[in-house]
Amino acid sequence: MKKFTTAMGTLALGAWGVGAYAADDVTLQLKWVTQAQFAGYYVAQDKGFYDDEDLNVTIKPGGPDIAPAQVIAGGGADVVLDWMPSALASREKGLPLVNIAQPFKSSGMMLTCRKDAGIESPEDFPGKTLGVWFFGNEYPFLSWMSKLGLPTDGSDAGVEVLKQGFNVDPLLQGQAACVSTMTYNEYWQIIDAGLTPEDLVVFKYEDQGVATLEDGMYVLEENLSDPAFADKMVRFVRASMKGWKWAEENPEDAAMIVLDNDASGAQTEEHQIRMMKEVAKLTAGSNGALDPADFQRTVDSLLSGGSDPVITADPGDAAWTHAISDKALN
Amino acid sequence: MSWLAFGLIVWISGWQFNAWLARRPDSSLARVIAPIIFGVTLVLVWEALVRGLGISKVLLPAPSDIAVAFANSTAILWKDFLQTVIKGALSGYAIGCGSAFVIAVAIDRFPFLQRGLLPVGNFVAALPIIGMAPILVMWFGFDWQSKAAVVVVMVFFPMLVNTVQGLQESEPMQRDLMRTYGAGYWMTLLKLRLPSAMPFIFNGLKIGTTLALIGAIVAEFFGSPTHGMGFRISTSVGQLAMDLVWAEIVVAAIAGSTFYGGVALVEKAVTFWHPSQRSRK
Repeated sequence: MKKFTTAMGTLALGAWGVGAYAADDVTLQLKWVTQAQFAGYYVAQDKGFYDDEDLNVTIKPGGPDIAPAQVIAGGGADVVLDWMPSALASREKGLPLVNIAQPFKSSGMMLTCRKDAGIESPEDFPGKTLGVWFFGNEYPFLSWMSKLGLPTDGSDAGVEVLKQGFNVDPLLQGQAACVSTMTYNEYWQIIDAGLTPEDLVVFKYEDQGVATLEDGMYVLEENLSDPAFADKMVRFVRASMKGWKWAEENPEDAAMIVLDNDASGAQTEEHQIRMMKEVAKLTAGSNGALDPADFQRTVDSLLSGGSDPVITADPGDAAWTHAISDKALN
Repeated sequence: MSWLAFGLIVWISGWQFNAWLARRPDSSLARVIAPIIFGVTLVLVWEALVRGLGISKVLLPAPSDIAVAFANSTAILWKDFLQTVIKGALSGYAIGCGSAFVIAVAIDRFPFLQRGLLPVGNFVAALPIIGMAPILVMWFGFDWQSKAAVVVVMVFFPMLVNTVQGLQESEPMQRDLMRTYGAGYWMTLLKLRLPSAMPFIFNGLKIGTTLALIGAIVAEFFGSPTHGMGFRISTSVGQLAMDLVWAEIVVAAIAGSTFYGGVALVEKAVTFWHPSQRSRK
């Protein structure tokens, strides 16, 4: 009898639990470790924006050895954040990723050079060693170099490329004249290491006309035809964008929310607040819907890769959709 | 579905054939054929499973895709091979094993070194490669020199310990006999102690072959010029070019086996007198 009561009790509790938490599960794979670059998602979770949309969101941090495209291919995520060049390259390799929303309007990528290495303008690049991130992040750099007409194979007329780790050591050590940096992260590591902005020359990819779209939301094309999945994504995009706009307006609080979610404990308060303020400049101007003109500019830039283009054919409109963002944001 | 059936048939027939070979009287031909059949079966079953189950190329390419990638990128693979295996691994291997050998002889000659240097060797061996590699890249630059340095650190200790041990192998009786012949230290070393140390020295050399390759490839993950096997593996994953990653793995496997096999052949020629070699046909 006692057993029976326990069983009934468990059953009733279970039914109640299902009723209260029948939220849809969404797994988001970030492109990089937990930091203010992804503040919008952490804010949406912390402030309950996802709960309001009846979503149960799991945010998986990335890292130097995690390729979001590979995670989604293996079924480890429903939606991933990726840079458009590597998403389009993955698409060409047979993994049909589709951009459903684009919270970042501008690119935060730049090449930061030391003046004492003799760099004033891009004309000074030949013969110099430049640090570049690989693992799918090299595409904007390669299309810039091909636009400048500089070979990257180490020949005399071109530049020497070294694979930069995800830090700025090569610049500080003098092993490279320039390194890749993000406006919101590595640039400040250089400043923190003791160099002043006067010691540095900065080339923003935006200013050089080779900026490509960063940190868009991508899903698998075949999933979009499932109405339940599409509906989930509509709610996810709506809540995430709400999180982003909240983070833009409250950078300090958003940075603290990110810190609370940083299981590694590697981030500091000062660094995250500064990062959030810089990231807010990049998300400003985007309501979450992808601007087709930005998409075309990215594609054109990638196609101009000279002898070794990033993508060989224009992926066309199939690589992005407004179907989700239209429903989410209007 | 037909691919799955094909895989099953290949698996069963490969198994049956090898079982039949095992039942037959031992012959050198069977000993060569059996592992080949095993390998071929493995590759064919892999191909059948990938095709039959429709596994995405991004997760696991079929052997035929890897073969195509291999054929299409021989120029890249060759350049990477030169950079990583010839420049990084082999030079580091030569420097590491060479210096370990010289220091082992010194340690053997001067007992106070044994107390001082061996613990240092121990310490170096305990350093994790992923901790050392970024530091060595900082010291020796991005090119192959820093990779060779990582290899030196990795192969040094096994070679040192094995050689030191090997030099103590000769019996006191044998050394006494050398003394009655009027042989000095160097003569005894050359004629008696080094030859009897050879099985140990080759042990160290063989362990070093695989360590050298691993060290050179992993060190390239921590900053490298834009070629080299470690560079290609770590960056191609990000580009989802898994077929190229696997082609590099094939090259690494071939290079590693050849390297190991080469050292084992030299060992066979040098230590022909040793019981472990004599017992083989």
